[in-house]
Amino acid sequence: MPDRFVPGDPVRAGTCDPTGHTRLPRYVRGAVGQVAEVAGHHPLADDRARGLPGTVQAVYHVRFAAVDLFGAGDHTVTVELWEDYLEPTTDHQDKEAP
Amino acid sequence: MSGDHSSAAIAERVRHVEALLEERGLLDDGEIDRRIDEFLAGGSPANGARITAHAWVDADFRERLLADANAAIRELGLSMAGGLQEQRLKVVANTASEHHVVVCTLCSCYPIALLGPSPAWYKSEAYRSRVVRDPRGVLREFGLELPADTRITVWDASAESRYMVVPRRPEGTEGMSEAELAGLVTRKGLIGTAAV
Amino acid sequence: MSRINDVGGMIGFPDIVEEPDEPAFHADWEAHVLALNAALIRRGVYNLDEFRDAIERMPPASYLSASYYEKWFTAITTLLAEKGVATPEELAGA
Repeated sequence: MPDRFVPGDPVRAGTCDPTGHTRLPRYVRGAVGQVAEVAGHHPLADDRARGLPGTVQAVYHVRFAAVDLFGAGDHTVTVELWEDYLEPTTDHQDKEAP
Repeated sequence: MSGDHSSAAIAERVRHVEALLEERGLLDDGEIDRRIDEFLAGGSPANGARITAHAWVDADFRERLLADANAAIRELGLSMAGGLQEQRLKVVANTASEHHVVVCTLCSCYPIALLGPSPAWYKSEAYRSRVVRDPRGVLREFGLELPADTRITVWDASAESRYMVVPRRPEGTEGMSEAELAGLVTRKGLIGTAAV
Repeated sequence: MSRINDVGGMIGFPDIVEEPDEPAFHADWEAHVLALNAALIRRGVYNLDEFRDAIERMPPASYLSASYYEKWFTAITTLLAEKGVATPEELAGA
């Protein structure tokens, strides 16, 4: 399956709150960031933590502006997120691109 | 700490579980000691320092390192393949306008092959919780005051990649050999909590 | 909301403490715990993500009061019991 996103794409981190293991930190949930780079393809950790083989999918470096995560701060945070955690968005960030 | 009561109690429990697993054929004789020796011999900040010094003196290598770190470090005889499978390495370089710092907010992911065992502060909730929110404040606590116009990028090692920072080459080091330059680089510099 | 390991952005933890000349391990048993975990993962008793999951399932108060390798040892014994390698009683030496 081809990667769903390419560098430069705006993406929104999922808002799901799984009860099990996940690598979607809560501080990015629901926030809009930008794909910086494809960081390889790996089975979803959420599945592997339940003893399942996990579907292999793209993992991305996604860059968020701190102000979109915490309401303050002039830095950026790059988080590594599996494709399943991300959805496309048309939200324009009116701030400077991070 | 190692001599107190709770430590003695847990040491006893660990020995018991080891013995049980040996009995059930899940541990070989001497395997624990062999694995400890391998771990301690497996990585050290000297590896990260070598990579950094080479990137300082060889601009082409620096470029290759930032584009494909796994391939570039093989040129120096280093590898991220010591574990169960080769880990993807992402190397980022500090510049006059941008400073990078690495954390693993969910657990303690760290490039052991290049930096050795991680320090306790890196694994602490204090560091993991705050550096994503207030990196400038955290760096100040480490004694690193960055100019107000330096952009800070925090890297959260939340998935499969491991990260290393190439610090900026200090001024006044033009005459130094690569080995001397490597001697300037610290573990904290390679994580991003020190200038070098 | 989330497990206790997911601390990114949280407020209220103490100052960051650096330990000068910190050793790789603070006691022999810590090294043994690290090696034990590596051996069990290599043998396929459990995988690394199941191990992370077992750490994260610790009750929050225990997670926050345990040292790094105490968390590891808790996760190892949890998984050994769940995978049927040994009963909790056997693991506790009872």
